[in-house]
Amino acid sequence: MNKKTKKRILGIVLIGIFVAMGIVLYLFNMPQRDVQASKIDFRISAKEIVAEYLANADSANDKYLQEEGDSKILAVTGTVASIDTDLNNQKVVLLKNADEEAGVSSTFMAETNSNAEALQIGDKVTIKGVIRSGAGYDEDLDLYEDVIMEKCDVLKE
Amino acid sequence: MRRLSVVLVTLVVFTLSAFKPTADKLISKDGHISFYSHTDIEDITANNYKVVSTIDTTTGDIVFSVPMQGFEFEKALMQKHYNSKNFLNTKKFPKAKLIGKINNLESVDFSKDGTYEAKVSGDLDIKGQTKPITEIATITVKGGQVTLDSKMDVVLGDYGITFSGGKPSTNIAKKVEVTVKAVYTK
Repeated sequence: MNKKTKKRILGIVLIGIFVAMGIVLYLFNMPQRDVQASKIDFRISAKEIVAEYLANADSANDKYLQEEGDSKILAVTGTVASIDTDLNNQKVVLLKNADEEAGVSSTFMAETNSNAEALQIGDKVTIKGVIRSGAGYDEDLDLYEDVIMEKCDVLKE
Repeated sequence: MRRLSVVLVTLVVFTLSAFKPTADKLISKDGHISFYSHTDIEDITANNYKVVSTIDTTTGDIVFSVPMQGFEFEKALMQKHYNSKNFLNTKKFPKAKLIGKINNLESVDFSKDGTYEAKVSGDLDIKGQTKPITEIATITVKGGQVTLDSKMDVVLGDYGITFSGGKPSTNIAKKVEVTVKAVYTK
């Protein structure tokens, strides 16, 4: 093997190492998904998604939850039943009609809190966010749990 | 005669419902659970603000329901590892649950301002595996508002969360510290 070939091989190996390091660094520092900037997977009413979960939680989980946690992004339309603040100072808007057992609990973010504050109880709105878990009756809690969405914002269309 | 029995039944039902003890149940829908893992390589923290919990102040029954996909990590890759099949498999097991009881209910006065130490024992279910736990929780009553704080260690291996190899096996502690805080309303 002459000097030139040796140099070339060394060059290729070095480039390979740099590319691999780049990929590892990228993956390691990959930012969180920007839910509000991502496309909507499902448009649905609060009533419909709650009904879907109450009818069959397993098939609904199969449809909406993803294995690596990057679950479906929903645009849920419903009536504002309450507006609260959680322990992280994020606004939580519950979409639910008075006659329904469970609703959709939508947690906003620091950047979108003001949009939740502008809402009034009784408003009909569409909220975009990522689903974290479904609705259902829990015997041990002895109450209905809501569908949980996070990273929410009011969808203006 | 028939009418009389209808009236009687109605009367009995009404009387019973009037005397039915109103369950004194405290509900928290936006509780906070965080966990912290420390190894020489890195520290990992995750936060979840969507924990649902109830305390029955007459029986001492205490329940926590945790939406597992609600844990937020600093790095996206950590979150992917955590949710994946090999780790917490949150698609198959979307909720973790604690069903417990306050054993020293007599020393906790929910109607009087103060700080109380509650001894809680029960079963913790993570990823379909149930293990008994005994923990101390601090219950603070202030101006009618009830707050619960607790800190506990969870051994991941107890719930079938093990790592045979790869990065998570060296970067995540075998035992993680779990901090719980819930503010209840009636």
